[in-house]
Amino acid sequence: MLLGTIVYAIINSVILIMMSIGFNLTFGISGISNFAYGALYIFSAFSTYMLLQMVGLPYPVAALVSIVLTAAIGALMYRFILMRVRGQVLSEVIATFGIGLAILEFFRYLGFVGVEYALPVFIDDSFMIGEVYVDAQRLIIVASSVVLVGLLWLFVHYTSVGLAFRGIAQDERTALTFGMDSDWIATLSVSLGAALAAIAATVIIPLGTISVSQGYDVLINALAVSIIGGLGSTGGVIVASLVVGFAQRFTDTYIGSHWTMIVSLAAILLVLVIKPSGLYGKQKELEERI
Amino acid sequence: MSETPLLEVKGLTKSFGGVQAVNGISFTLNKGDLLGIIGPNGSGKTTTVNLISGFVKATSGRVIFKGRDITNMPPYKIVRLGIARTFQMVKPFYQLPAFKNMIIPLYSPRVKALAGGKYGDRDAVALDLLEEVGFERDNQVAYKAASVLPQGYLKRLELAKAISLQPDIMILDELFSGLSLAEVASIVPIIEKLLLEGKTIIMIEHRLKELFRIASRVIVLNFGEKIADGVAKEVMESDEVKKAYLGSEE
Repeated sequence: MLLGTIVYAIINSVILIMMSIGFNLTFGISGISNFAYGALYIFSAFSTYMLLQMVGLPYPVAALVSIVLTAAIGALMYRFILMRVRGQVLSEVIATFGIGLAILEFFRYLGFVGVEYALPVFIDDSFMIGEVYVDAQRLIIVASSVVLVGLLWLFVHYTSVGLAFRGIAQDERTALTFGMDSDWIATLSVSLGAALAAIAATVIIPLGTISVSQGYDVLINALAVSIIGGLGSTGGVIVASLVVGFAQRFTDTYIGSHWTMIVSLAAILLVLVIKPSGLYGKQKELEERI
Repeated sequence: MSETPLLEVKGLTKSFGGVQAVNGISFTLNKGDLLGIIGPNGSGKTTTVNLISGFVKATSGRVIFKGRDITNMPPYKIVRLGIARTFQMVKPFYQLPAFKNMIIPLYSPRVKALAGGKYGDRDAVALDLLEEVGFERDNQVAYKAASVLPQGYLKRLELAKAISLQPDIMILDELFSGLSLAEVASIVPIIEKLLLEGKTIIMIEHRLKELFRIASRVIVLNFGEKIADGVAKEVMESDEVKKAYLGSEE
């Protein structure tokens, strides 16, 4: 039982990493809290479903087109709306939350509700880890997460756009003095964040069904992990996902599933009280103020 | 035939609400000049260079660089055209070693364009540039994180980043502030070397003695207006400048 709990806690943590890494990346680079993040996740899932079931595209093509479409929506969101309110944190939150609400509730209005809205698993198989059965889709999620985090690390350390991302993330004014177009980089950051939400949806959604309410859950998970880890810190997201992922799974197994959400929320409260900028947060001014 | 100025500033004006921060300033800058901009606190020095470098939008007036109107262009475009600047408050990438701080400017679009798309060995270029501004190779200071470097090295790092962009004009905003006499004395020869190489520089400074050693021309601002323009010695003998710095005797 313990091994099974550990294995599924690791998988749960990886799912949390996948769900939050895009939200955190966008915030880390451009300082924008994209509250439409969960809606983009669901948009991508429904888009893949429609391209697959209604248009008849092959699954990989449908998924790829959905990821590109979601990334494009992220870019358009920045160019047409967020660019005008950039730097006004409350306006950014209201604007993105409004866009998210509109997307999610539009799907509900169109009647996209029911168990028939689901995506097929990539490989219908399962494997034994020790004495624990794990289905192939969950292993694919773990593998995708490792590859994704690795690729992101290489991207921000070894490409000129990635270095520009880091430059803007650390200090926009300094980056501007090197000839970097901060609006272009912010567009890319929101777009890349949206694409990561879409990639997460592509690999995670086949574990269950697509529902509008999941959009809100994904946003809450992304916020929780980012707050605990420290907004903008990729290392923080990974550590926080492990903390929350293990806490959730162990609570689920040994205490009771109705306590799972309470443990997650208590973790957020505890971190906010002890270290308001999160475990690896860089916003020292928060602590200095308090 | 007179030389075409590298930079022309014509009637530059900036109002912040009811406050006239810069009021109709005009001047020219020729290639190879070092222009000092001085004046009491709040006289509009930094706003003037912010207007030139695009960090603040002008209310009226024009900035012409190499014959092209760059007024109100975004800062990143102005840098790409060849005007680099430093800031009074240095903001390095603190967690990176000093030489890695150079990597981001060395990857910049301007450097890429000048190098024909080839960057070469950036670490080597970064270390050479840092040595040029006084990061001694033997004490390995270039490999230390920016967060542990003293102010003197951080100012040198700012200068190296500006040099790395190979600009036509470098704007140095209070490069000497917060430095000891010895530190300033060690940076002055670096500026002199840049001038010998034909670089064009604008310096905002409060350290007048050191500035006057190297500036070919000085303009004095007071309450957003230019009150004097000329060689340092003549400018400082002007009654209006004395009044601005020392106050009225009345």
